[in-house]
Amino acid sequence: MSELKPTNHKAELLLEAVADGHVAEVLAMESVAGCATTFDPGWEVDPFGGVASLCQPMEADLYGCSDPCWWPAQVPDTMNTYPDWDKGLPSAAGDWRDLNSVYPKK
Amino acid sequence: MSLARSLMAFVVAGALAASPGVASRAQAGDLLVTGAKPDRLFVIDAATRTVRSDYRIADANGQVFSIVISPDQKTAYVLVDKMERIVGIDLATGRETFRADLSSGDEKVKSFFALAVTPDGRELLVYELPTRMKLSEYVVEEPRFAVFRTDAGLAAKAVRSFPAPRRVHLLLMRPDGRSFYAVGFDLYEYDTHTGKLLGTRGIQKWAVPDHAQPDLLAFWPVTEPTGVFTSPIYTEINKPGAAGAPTTALMSLDLKSGELAYEDFEPMNALIFSTVLSPDRSHAYGVYTTLSSIDVPGHRLEKRVNLDHTYYAINVSSDGREVYVGGTTCDVGFYDAKTLGKKAVVKLPGCGDQTLATLRVIHGK
Repeated sequence: MSELKPTNHKAELLLEAVADGHVAEVLAMESVAGCATTFDPGWEVDPFGGVASLCQPMEADLYGCSDPCWWPAQVPDTMNTYPDWDKGLPSAAGDWRDLNSVYPKK
Repeated sequence: MSLARSLMAFVVAGALAASPGVASRAQAGDLLVTGAKPDRLFVIDAATRTVRSDYRIADANGQVFSIVISPDQKTAYVLVDKMERIVGIDLATGRETFRADLSSGDEKVKSFFALAVTPDGRELLVYELPTRMKLSEYVVEEPRFAVFRTDAGLAAKAVRSFPAPRRVHLLLMRPDGRSFYAVGFDLYEYDTHTGKLLGTRGIQKWAVPDHAQPDLLAFWPVTEPTGVFTSPIYTEINKPGAAGAPTTALMSLDLKSGELAYEDFEPMNALIFSTVLSPDRSHAYGVYTTLSSIDVPGHRLEKRVNLDHTYYAINVSSDGREVYVGGTTCDVGFYDAKTLGKKAVVKLPGCGDQTLATLRVIHGK
């Protein structure tokens, strides 16, 4: 926060509240809605800025991400939201053609 | 999950496609235990490279996560059903002898990988993340450690529970059973009976000179065969002349002595998901898309080879001559601990992905 500068009165009040300890701790909903709170990029780029250290093939990693809700934005979360996404499809490498896109429930 | 050590006297050099005949005598008797989607639990005979048992876990509901072996080595406690159930499976028969459903009523309870069994085998400790599922809101409740009696059968209920910190991913029982470690943002030690917090040591808040805040991915509770938990740690050297240089360290936690150590072993050149310590503690082996051996006393990377595909999980034979790799897809690889050369691959029946299942070794006597 020390690197942020308030640009309006409300932001100044927020900084004062933080300094006085009046801002409640924000709890990540790690068990239901938020899942993993990682923001590292998905299968697009590795920590070195390349692709050599990505999981190979990516199918080796697919269910390792959907099962523990690791990247709920990139892959359907089978732990909570789309529990049947991979039903009957135990092998990501063998069954990928039958893994479909998902859409928010209306 | 895309994130990202024993020179033995005898080596079967170049022995690919191993057969029972090439397995060393000392490793005879090692059994590997792993799980796979949607409901499978496998026991593999390491010496003969054969799947000895192929069990189906009732109501696993799609995934098999952490596997913890009872001290008498007869039962595998397995986290299944969207992380909401732990079952005990008799490894000789496949019969379910224990079941704890963590969720009840409107309280949904997940356990993120973290469970442990007391050394006497009588109690199972589980890290629980409860959320109350109200009609119009979710209420995040405080995390807790829940304790179950392992003789409670198929409708086990917690006999006691006590407050726990957030973001714990591993529980590691100390050999005297009086306390256990919880690995999360930091390393916590709790009294097993009373739940009293006995101490906190830094992981995120470590105090290693000239190093930035560390990062680790500790989901694999492997402490066999040494009783030492190890994990790769990623950080940056933070001192004049090397500011911001990424480096990889090996974290080791001796469950008996309580000694916690961090030692840099290479500038960060590759990702490693999980590691295991050799029986003589001279080497650590790490796996991900490559297989690495680390000279522990020398604090240096010794050798690294590419693998056929990414693996998450790793373990080592009783005699230290072979490294086993698993997790991710549907095979378990056998590698020479010295040369890191591939010796054999065992395909799992049904070819379901192991994903995040723990690869355990029941070590031969």
